[in-house]
Amino acid sequence: MTQVPTSTKGGLLAKRVAVPSGLSWKELRKQLPNYLFILPHFFFFALFLLFPIFRGLQISAYDWKIMLKEQHFIGLENYQALMKDRIFWESLRHTANFVLITVTINIVLGLLVATGLKHSFFGRDFLRVLFYAPGILSVSVLGIVGIRIWDTQLGIVNYFVTTLMGGPRISWLGNPDIVIPALAITTVWWTFGFPMLVFLAGLQNIPETLYEAAKIDGANSWQSFRYITIPLIMPTLLFVTVTQFIAHMQVFAQPYIISGGGPGNASRTAVMYLYETAWKFFRFGYASSIAVVLAVIMIVVTVIIFSLMRGRTEY
Amino acid sequence: MTTESKTTNFLMNLSPSRKSVLRSLGLWLIFLPLAVVIFIPVIYIISMAFTREANQLHFPIEWLPKPITISNFTHIFTDVTLPIVKWFTNSLIISTVGTLIVVFLSSLSGYAFARLEFPGKRQLFSLLLFSLMIPGAITLIPAFLLLRDLKLLNTYHAIWWPTAASVVGIFLMRQHFYAIPRDLEDAARVDGASPFRIYWQICLPLVRGAMVALAIFTFLGMWNDLFWPLIVLSDRETFTLPVGLVIIQQGSYIQRGLAFAAAFIASAPVLLFYAIFQRKIIAGVTTTGMAGQ
Repeated sequence: MTQVPTSTKGGLLAKRVAVPSGLSWKELRKQLPNYLFILPHFFFFALFLLFPIFRGLQISAYDWKIMLKEQHFIGLENYQALMKDRIFWESLRHTANFVLITVTINIVLGLLVATGLKHSFFGRDFLRVLFYAPGILSVSVLGIVGIRIWDTQLGIVNYFVTTLMGGPRISWLGNPDIVIPALAITTVWWTFGFPMLVFLAGLQNIPETLYEAAKIDGANSWQSFRYITIPLIMPTLLFVTVTQFIAHMQVFAQPYIISGGGPGNASRTAVMYLYETAWKFFRFGYASSIAVVLAVIMIVVTVIIFSLMRGRTEY
Repeated sequence: MTTESKTTNFLMNLSPSRKSVLRSLGLWLIFLPLAVVIFIPVIYIISMAFTREANQLHFPIEWLPKPITISNFTHIFTDVTLPIVKWFTNSLIISTVGTLIVVFLSSLSGYAFARLEFPGKRQLFSLLLFSLMIPGAITLIPAFLLLRDLKLLNTYHAIWWPTAASVVGIFLMRQHFYAIPRDLEDAARVDGASPFRIYWQICLPLVRGAMVALAIFTFLGMWNDLFWPLIVLSDRETFTLPVGLVIIQQGSYIQRGLAFAAAFIASAPVLLFYAIFQRKIIAGVTTTGMAGQ
């Protein structure tokens, strides 16, 4: 007799707890097979993405050398050394310069071209396909062409500079001040089609009636662009800025193939330095600390971009 | 101000067809230089691939090779130290199988997160979101060391399985599974169909468009990728085309014609593919936000 109320009480409690989360035994047994759907992906996700994130943090605290049987724990020494590493700071500066030039031109050019391609006119679809086409090529192909575009003696750019404009031969890749801009321009050629297409889609979502109303009110085309297009394209601009920033911060192949990081260190980027530290000098611990610092910088800047731009997306 | 109103008046007085011709002309005038700049490097690759080695260093540039020759191609196909047919096959197998794996796993997980219930679903999904925020640089070394310990370096697996971990496809597929009306599934469930059968026979055919888009961008991405294959493939026989191209460009093979012939071989299939499926690809870029790079 005494057991009955407690069991009903327990049962009621269990029911109260279970109902909102839907976790009765019967339901749980029915739901268990559903894990099979996510299991295949989750296995590889855990192994090659989730675990490496934490493992990377751990390795950065070791003097990790690939040949050693036992790795030597050194705490924050890699980070201390990194803070004093002149090449690392230079590579960060080169990366920042590269990102600034590439992302700015990609966004401005992409938005301008998209504004032109918004109207339907003869050959528009062809131009749209053409402008995205370089992005279909491999970065290795970009590298092979890039070398010959900027070559001092035989390059395409100097061909136009000397034969068409009568200018002097310029050593684009041999000058530490212009090697990064040259690589950035090469990258713009390769990648500006993506922001262009995204902006085009964003522009086509802006109702045409807004522009017509502005026209009736006597706004010129600059005013329509400034007060209608820009505010309404802000969410797209935020997406493009963040994805472009993340993509180009990890630039590796362009300097690796086209300029070899030179002259001197003038075009060595952060990921290129990371690659060489790990796979040329096999200092995996130190390379991991580079990766961690780079990741932290990227996350912080992404958050800053978000908070700066989100304030302006509301209109 | 006055000139501006004059031009608008002038434009307003024109017939609509005249106006559109003028607009086409105006826009072409602006876009033509850009189109030329886009075209030049591509034409340059093609022209250099068919220029014989002895003429590679000619300046000014011979845009039309004299003579047009396929000697670079015969050279690269017969040079045993540059197994480009093997590289091509490797690229093809890696990209095709990799794409199938990514599309299948993404659709499975995407379906589960859109349609099925299980404990911890929200937390697991947040975990996927969290991984998106972590830059890839940090996972390179641990993933490489893991593959080394598993003795999978220099195999196709070294590229397939880390790619299978990618999460972007799941978000894409989940979004599209959400759009399917629930009544369809409920009817099948009443008829006693298993969850897997509902996914496979009813829902999957309805998201075919998203799967094709995901497949195209995954394939292009894997075909073109250089960084990861460069890290995990060091044996010449296992290279993909992009890695092979870098080796041709760097090693003792600084033969210009060879590099351009190889670049042509790597680019021609994807450019042809792009020309055929341009509509699908252009539409895919804007709906998926994937770039193919």
